[in-house]
Amino acid sequence: MTEAANLSLVVRRTVRAPVERVFDAWTKSEFLKRWWGPEGVTCPEADVDLRVGGHYRIANKLPDGNIVVIHGEFELIEPPTKLVYSWRVDPGIPAPSRVTVRFETHAEGTEVIVIHERIASDAIRDNHEQGWNGCLDGLIAFADEESSGR
Amino acid sequence: MVSTALKYEDDEALDVVFGALADRTRRRILARLAVGPERVTDLAEPFTMSLPAVSKHLKVLERAGLIRRDVEGRIHRCSLGPEPLADARAWLDHYRYFWESTLDRLAVYVEPKANRQPKGKGSKK
Repeated sequence: MTEAANLSLVVRRTVRAPVERVFDAWTKSEFLKRWWGPEGVTCPEADVDLRVGGHYRIANKLPDGNIVVIHGEFELIEPPTKLVYSWRVDPGIPAPSRVTVRFETHAEGTEVIVIHERIASDAIRDNHEQGWNGCLDGLIAFADEESSGR
Repeated sequence: MVSTALKYEDDEALDVVFGALADRTRRRILARLAVGPERVTDLAEPFTMSLPAVSKHLKVLERAGLIRRDVEGRIHRCSLGPEPLADARAWLDHYRYFWESTLDRLAVYVEPKANRQPKGKGSKK
């Protein structure tokens, strides 16, 4: 499931469109508003300042009508193949995690690879200590055995 | 889990769980309890700290639901409470669902209609 030991996750999807089109869809607010979000969530508002250090804000309207804003800053921009940005969720998760998106050209189209890192470790707010993630994974594995075994 | 994206009502509980896990001593206590229940006095033994100090850590773990405490007379016995860890994992699964579902929508948006795969087949690599 999740990549063991550091609570990051990788999601890949190949879409049948040229890499420039996919990159634009990901980085231009007028396009984001038309597709962003999982099923049931719409994007009423998106602002993207596509430069290193620039901010982005993406509003997510949840099925219950509540709005959650995902926002952060760009750390690296290599059009049309790579983006790295911080990721905060307001309200919800003020501590930043980090998202890397790679757009790779393949025969069938463009493979989008999303690497979301530091999810839980930064959500701990203070007291971050290296090494607890592996421990957490071990404990989760144990919890699984525990709940299925009894 | 399939219903919405990220759920925020559980955030407070998760703050408590992750906060409880963000400490070396408390993780060591949990690791020991993963082997089996222990008396509080035995738990305190390998740590170079007083019983009240260990007791403080136990209270944090207890509040997060990560451990349970049974009292038999004067003996306090601790055991692991696995449910909050399962919640922590479910929280990560929300992220996975968020991205997978979002990439589905991206595909629908950027792919020319004629090329689109039939629904349900999926285009996961």
